[in-house]
Amino acid sequence: MILNVNGSKHEVEAGMRTLLEVLRDDLGLVGTKEGCGVGMCGACTVLVDGKPISGCLTLAQQVAGNEILTVEGLEKDGKLHPIQQAFIDEGAFQCAYCTPGFILATAALLNENPSPGEDEIREYLSGNLCRCGSYQNIIKAVKTASEKARQDV
Amino acid sequence: MIGESVPMLDSVARVTGAVDYMINLRLPNMLFGKIVRSQAPHAKLLKVDHTNALQVPGVVAILTGEDLGANAFYGVAVKDQGVVAVDRVRYVGEPIAAIAAESLSAAEEAALLIDIEYDELTAVFDSQAAIQAGAPALHEKSPNNIFKHAKLRHGDLDAAFAAADEIFEDTFTSPVAQQASLEPHVSAAQWDGEHLTLWTASQAPFMVRKTLSEILGIAPEAVRVIVPPLGGGYGGKGHIRIEPLVAAMARKTKGRPVKFVLSRAEEFVTVTKHAASITLKTGVKRDGTFTARQVTIYWNGGAYADASPMLVPAGMVRSVGPYRIPAVSVDSYGIYTNLPPAGAYRGAMSSQTTWAYESQMDIIAHKMGWDPLEFRMKNLFVSGEHFATGEELHDVHFVECLEASAKGLGASPSPLTPPPGGEGKRGRGYGVMMKSTVATSKSQARLKLMVDGTVMLYTSTVEMGQGGHTTMAQITAETLGVPLSAIKVIGPDTAITPFDSTTSASRSTSMMGNAVIAACGSMKKKLFELGAPLLETPPDQLRTENGFIVADETSISFGDILKRNNLNELDEAGEYSTSLGLDPETGQGVATPHWHQGAGAAEVEVDPETGRITILRYSAAAFAGRVVNPRMAQLQNDGNVIFGLGPTLMEEILFDGGQPTNPNLADYAIPSIRDIPNELISICIESDKGEMHGIGEMTLPSVAPAIANAIEDAIGVRIKDLPITAEKILQALREKAEK
Repeated sequence: MILNVNGSKHEVEAGMRTLLEVLRDDLGLVGTKEGCGVGMCGACTVLVDGKPISGCLTLAQQVAGNEILTVEGLEKDGKLHPIQQAFIDEGAFQCAYCTPGFILATAALLNENPSPGEDEIREYLSGNLCRCGSYQNIIKAVKTASEKARQDV
Repeated sequence: MIGESVPMLDSVARVTGAVDYMINLRLPNMLFGKIVRSQAPHAKLLKVDHTNALQVPGVVAILTGEDLGANAFYGVAVKDQGVVAVDRVRYVGEPIAAIAAESLSAAEEAALLIDIEYDELTAVFDSQAAIQAGAPALHEKSPNNIFKHAKLRHGDLDAAFAAADEIFEDTFTSPVAQQASLEPHVSAAQWDGEHLTLWTASQAPFMVRKTLSEILGIAPEAVRVIVPPLGGGYGGKGHIRIEPLVAAMARKTKGRPVKFVLSRAEEFVTVTKHAASITLKTGVKRDGTFTARQVTIYWNGGAYADASPMLVPAGMVRSVGPYRIPAVSVDSYGIYTNLPPAGAYRGAMSSQTTWAYESQMDIIAHKMGWDPLEFRMKNLFVSGEHFATGEELHDVHFVECLEASAKGLGASPSPLTPPPGGEGKRGRGYGVMMKSTVATSKSQARLKLMVDGTVMLYTSTVEMGQGGHTTMAQITAETLGVPLSAIKVIGPDTAITPFDSTTSASRSTSMMGNAVIAACGSMKKKLFELGAPLLETPPDQLRTENGFIVADETSISFGDILKRNNLNELDEAGEYSTSLGLDPETGQGVATPHWHQGAGAAEVEVDPETGRITILRYSAAAFAGRVVNPRMAQLQNDGNVIFGLGPTLMEEILFDGGQPTNPNLADYAIPSIRDIPNELISICIESDKGEMHGIGEMTLPSVAPAIANAIEDAIGVRIKDLPITAEKILQALREKAEK
């Protein structure tokens, strides 16, 4: 079976394993985390054709042929993605276990809605949990990334 | 450098998913571990047969109680907990056996084939039921199930109550909750002969080393504990968790490493927040002052004493409150029940006690017709006064914390009117917290200066998201006079990094910070001695700046000083410790090197139709001493409030016959981004004296009472049992209407 991850094709023996397991154990893409195992915490968020999904609830087989993006695929030419940079600039993490999931969910949000209001940000990111409670700075980072993207256009 | 909001040192790794958490650890030849856990809350183990499990292809070894020696029991003061259960189980989820296999699936398959026979015993789950005559005793040494009774006696209580105009007696309860770090407990162990290396997500590597040395019968130096960055701790990774089991399992795998990663369900039976029932009897005079307070606390410690013999006395000290009360008596009981063992939960014990004393403050104020804010202001301690332990209080800023948090809400009462067309009723409430840190503890730091100017900082402070390593690097940069980029932080690794008691109780910035300052002092002294002849200037006329020693007109880099003296490196150490404590019979003495001080102000809206609570604004103020990194301090402050919303509004582990019924993050909700206040204001109060304080918990314990007080202000009902759910609000409104 072929998985298309971060623009590269990978031959994998996925069996009945989840996308999260295959990404971490077979492809070594350990930026994606398991937090709850039941699709509630968002630590395993990856983008499939631009849409955020829970890697722990998705069988790898289900997304064969789709474009999968993990946190490792965000950097371009050795430069951080503007959302990653915004998370640093706004101090939008503490333990950072949840951060890759938040960053990918933010990428999907800004793709759907380049200028989200605060309510839309809260609504869209409500499927990602941060136990350290860095939410205020996460909201700031999303706004900063959104503004930056508009300025760059 | 101190006072600057520099990003965390490994920020790039944190946004690219490259932090090496324990779950990423893969060792050559590594085996996978699985724990077999008790299904019974209280039972004799008649049989633990692993014959069939051992036949599963890929299974390498199985650990059961039969493998354990007489010393394989641990606990901070009471060594009652086995590495795995021996002969008897005392809670659902207690480890009975462990399996090491070539794959996780093989280990899981084998786990199903362990044949366990139970002879069930009567179980008891409530702490007050457990101390009644006839309740089943969990441990022979504690026939009444009380493993700790901490006492505080101060002043003439009877006379003081007699002098009161009014006496209030109220009971407040908190349920069992879970720390719920998103990273679970993970440990791996490997033996090389009689030497053990253990990698673990722990907040207390040296405590782990000591315990493993004791139960495994090897020297502490034969145990190497390595701790990578943690995906959150919040007290749940303090003390000893799965490390003894993992180390004992690995002893049976002939030198192959074995790694255990707990599932989310296992997390809920591994460590919890103490359920507590707290009764406060408080005497007041009509002039608005206190005469006496008597506190009775029943802490549900679960099936094993664990760290509770240390936490129950801490809870005693933390139950009195930040007010001048002439006579105080506290009885704080640690009690065994057939629930999972309880441990520290961010804001340890203060979350439960502050919920009690700050809720009662408003009950008193309302009954007596006083303004809750003024009543607090009038009675809050100031510097130079004496606490109920007899100790003099220094650097006290409760009034400033409360003033700042109240001011943060804004002065206008107009927001308290309901929004146009809205049904919600609005109210405001306040809370103040006074918390001790560890009375006796030690931190050591070591610095190594290299010829290229690099400064290696060796520290056993655990980086768990609080920014501990960044903070220590900033303190080093400032004190030693080097750029931040020259510093590399290493540790914890007990084979390399020096001793530290624990990364908990918000002690690191203060304790390790001072150890780092001491090490920098020694390093500077050495550099001045070596540099003075080179600069032809006496040592006392030299200073450091940006990696150079500077005299009036000349300077030389640290690296060049080493080169000119034919040195490859300079190695200097520093230490900071406190040795304080209380008399066990009277609770008199010194409880803490300094007091943690925080306050909160809440503005809420309650929908009387649905019971829904919305936190419109929350303003939190912490006394921070001297802030090292303002943005990290703000994050800790924000995090305290948001973490605190969990036990306030939603968190409770539910049990049915000792079986947790909601051990997952679908049924056990923790605060999401939609639960945070519409507006959250974080304030750090700084001291001109410049003493550095930790702030990892300061604004958490006030959250529950501030919100409960705001709810009463809004709708006139008083909730005394956490969490404050919509159901409880509606029930209370119904009861009020019936009256």
